[in-house]
Amino acid sequence: METLAFQGLVGLSLAMYLWLLAAGLTIVFGVLGILNFAHGSLFMLGAYFAFTFYGLWGVNFWFAILLSLLSVGIVGYLMERLFLRHIYHLDHAYQLLLTFGFILIFDDAVKMVWGGVAKIPAMPTFFEGTFSVLGRLFPIYNVFIIGAGFLVALVLWLLFEKTWWGRMVRASASDREMASAIGVNIPTLFTGVFVFGAMLAALGGALGTPVRVVAPGIGAAMIIQAFIITVIGGLGNLKGAFVGAVIVGVLSAYSILLFPVFELFLIFVIMAVVLMVKPQGLFGR
Amino acid sequence: MKKKVGFFCLIFFFLVFIVSMPVWAQTPKKPPAKKPAAKPLGVEVIKFGGMGIMSGPLSICGRMIMMGAQSAIEEINAKGGILGSKCELKFMDDELRPAVGVKNVRYLVSEWGAHFILGVDSSGVAMAIGEIMPEMDRIYISTHASTDRLTEELVWKKGIKHIFRTTVPTYQEAILPAMIFKDFMHIKRWAGINCDYEYGYVSWSLFKETLKKYRPDVEFVASTWAPFWTMDFTPHISAALAANPDAIFSTPWGGEGVQLIRQALIMGAFDKIQLWWHPTGATTDFLEAVTSEVKADKFKGKLWVSGRYIHNWLQTPENKAFVERFVKRWAMYPFHPGQGAYDAVYFVKAALEKTRSLKTSEVIKALEGMELMTPAGRKYIRPEDHQAIYPTPAGRPVYDPAYPIAIVGDFKMIPAKEYFRHPPFEPVKISK
Amino acid sequence: MKKTLMILFLIALLSLLPFFVGKYILYMTIHILLLSLFALGFNLLFGYTGLLSFGQAGFYGVGAYACAKILLVVPSLLLGILGGVAVAGLVSLLLGLLSIRHTRIYFSMLTLCFGMMIFSLAWKWRDMTGGDDGLVGIPRAPLEIPGLFRINMAAMESYYYVVLVFSILAIFIFYRLVNSPLGLTLQGIRDSETRAACVGISVRNYRLISFTIAGLYAGLAGALLPPLENTVTPPVAHWSHSAEPVLATLLGGIYTFAGPIVGSFLFYIIKDIIVRFTEYWLICLGIIVLVLVLGFRGGVVSIFSQKGDR
Repeated sequence: METLAFQGLVGLSLAMYLWLLAAGLTIVFGVLGILNFAHGSLFMLGAYFAFTFYGLWGVNFWFAILLSLLSVGIVGYLMERLFLRHIYHLDHAYQLLLTFGFILIFDDAVKMVWGGVAKIPAMPTFFEGTFSVLGRLFPIYNVFIIGAGFLVALVLWLLFEKTWWGRMVRASASDREMASAIGVNIPTLFTGVFVFGAMLAALGGALGTPVRVVAPGIGAAMIIQAFIITVIGGLGNLKGAFVGAVIVGVLSAYSILLFPVFELFLIFVIMAVVLMVKPQGLFGR
Repeated sequence: MKKKVGFFCLIFFFLVFIVSMPVWAQTPKKPPAKKPAAKPLGVEVIKFGGMGIMSGPLSICGRMIMMGAQSAIEEINAKGGILGSKCELKFMDDELRPAVGVKNVRYLVSEWGAHFILGVDSSGVAMAIGEIMPEMDRIYISTHASTDRLTEELVWKKGIKHIFRTTVPTYQEAILPAMIFKDFMHIKRWAGINCDYEYGYVSWSLFKETLKKYRPDVEFVASTWAPFWTMDFTPHISAALAANPDAIFSTPWGGEGVQLIRQALIMGAFDKIQLWWHPTGATTDFLEAVTSEVKADKFKGKLWVSGRYIHNWLQTPENKAFVERFVKRWAMYPFHPGQGAYDAVYFVKAALEKTRSLKTSEVIKALEGMELMTPAGRKYIRPEDHQAIYPTPAGRPVYDPAYPIAIVGDFKMIPAKEYFRHPPFEPVKISK
Repeated sequence: MKKTLMILFLIALLSLLPFFVGKYILYMTIHILLLSLFALGFNLLFGYTGLLSFGQAGFYGVGAYACAKILLVVPSLLLGILGGVAVAGLVSLLLGLLSIRHTRIYFSMLTLCFGMMIFSLAWKWRDMTGGDDGLVGIPRAPLEIPGLFRINMAAMESYYYVVLVFSILAIFIFYRLVNSPLGLTLQGIRDSETRAACVGISVRNYRLISFTIAGLYAGLAGALLPPLENTVTPPVAHWSHSAEPVLATLLGGIYTFAGPIVGSFLFYIIKDIIVRFTEYWLICLGIIVLVLVLGFRGGVVSIFSQKGDR
């Protein structure tokens, strides 16, 4: 029994990375209507930048994360203003294609700048150590990740429900023309939302720095899972993305423990079932 | 529909295709008769086609192959080449995909004119390209891919004589530890965190089979399977630890191995278990990543590693010189895909000097039974399966101020003929 | 008349190819033909019916594995290829029934899903598919009809002709299809679903037909692979392989008949040439995609037409 609960806890921390990745993806889709295939690449860039600041240049860990967010924010800004802006009016197929092109570009770009070899920085000392949970040792680091994920969820909820900016974003998501009519500067808002989404992805990547290697291609490897989560939860729905991430994370942890043969297949089956039965997702309208 | 224009386009492009052919279709249908050249081997340049994984968390291994082969070629060229012919290397990324590997081999041999193929990290790719070597009429020397099936099945059983291997196969992962740890009487329960592909299946199955022979009291209490691109091993580690093992056996390699051990550390695995066998841990990228942990003795002496070449083991002048040259050239310490590729080139050189001919069948005969002194020790190519026989020990990572990164120490050596399998080979029964 | 002459010229060119190029070029050309078939089927769904599928590689994989399994038991090339096509068609019919009820982004996601389910089956089901090792030692079986003739396929040239004949037939059939009432109906559905429905067209049925035909073509391309490579491995069903016909069609021209074919040719040539000079071919391909989507949505064909894009 403790084994199951403990494995669930491990799955929960796994889910938090996925949540950070999916949150940005779903927000961008909900507001801009674009499914950003390259979102995983932004995650990867967040990891690379964090590795550079913290691992190579010795910057303080927390500051390195902040810098990484800002750096990817700039990348996101350029991506939106110079490229995505021009295709909003086109069929969603072209949006998928354009963002797919970005995956290719980012994968080679990181290879060119950082080299193709996988790297990992030294472990920050304040993360070493474990708590005793359910009779097993649970890393402080994982507790931190779970905490960070929940904190982000809280902040996002507050942001979108309680602030003026959040209200504008939600208005633009449900009715772009109307929002524009009442004075919302749509182009600026879109850029802002995209940058925000990019920074969320970067946060997910950056937080993984102490325990995961950075290498070209890690972004593309994660994007499918992010898609699955946003579909399960409902495209554009933040609550759905959180629940979806938890489901996927916990489920993959359990399948590794209990039925390893089915792991890969299972996730896709769930996604297919959701798409067929309730395509708007569990929480979609 | 712009059908007309489409067809026009098609015609245009095929005309371009045809007209531009002299530029890139250099190989005519029949190979040209060898012009009498001044060189004994009949060619100006001997071409080595190399392949490995060049991107993603495992890319250091492909790059190592390239570095090792390139080092050997540069040394040989500086001394006048092989019988006066210079050597050249072209290295391609096989993306860990058999289909890409096969396509690359076809390109390297038919288009680029490779005389020899070497390398490959992935067992799957090696098995696929091994099968087409007779069609290509070229020798392929594996310098990393370690499934025993490459030599036991393709060479010995199926008779594909074109395949050779200069590095130890999965005997290193599976049989060596069984022979060492059988004497660790307090280790009774083993859990496995394995690669969810050929290499993982074979290693784990062979290990279990071998250990059970010596220690029928041993139990295999858990095994988890991680595919390529696994970034987070924590669910695997926790599933393995849930079964209360005394020891863990792990096969993820390269950057994935680094992640695995790093994540295992923070999960307190090294407080819980007695021993961790990480057979690919002697690779210098891994040792570099764990240097600060080794210095602080975080592994508590429980981590055992091995490889197919350990640069600081043999203190022979030849090895020391090799390591020094390699570090100077590449700013990295060598590990086995590089060292194996280095040897592969030198084996070819020795064979060509003997045969004075590039004819595949003759080079094969020359390589069979050949023995060379290499930085990894004396390597003997066994004629039955074309596998190089030489030992590499297991040990524990230690810190020595003479080196900038952790090295392997506390060596436990077992002679090669004791832990290598010998013909006739019984196929390994794969069990999870 | 002019068009027919051009086509005949092209066929003649391709038929004579083995006489003045080497084995590697032939090998490449076979791959280009396979991608053309793959992309042609994809474009029926995308360009003609307006459905973007990211899972076509799944049907390609089904065709490839089915053909391989057949050839490993009965070494008859015809049986292998036709069997592969049939199985792929069946699978695409079944999955199509589930998929075509949805459109746009949901359709794309669902097809991505199904494709990856096939991939994970191929990877995990070791007993059937050989797992990550795949199926090896697949013979390039002779082309035979028992009692009539038997042609040995060991030479690359012989197999090239088989692929060429199949391709020409398949392209011809496709041509007739899209110029038939079926083709027009599909385009009508693409342009306006509601209008088509109002006229009494069963939108769902036509989409299903389109999906199945796309699956058949993907299956044909897949079935022609094992005799060429002698191995089939799971990556043939991976979503990154599904991206190839998408990119090829985008390159060549989405709303044209020959776009996928031209695009396949360009895709291979570009990749092959770039790879010789630099290891950074992904970024080159990515930039090309960007340029195409932003500026040349009609693909290469549109550059020649001067009529702009849709």
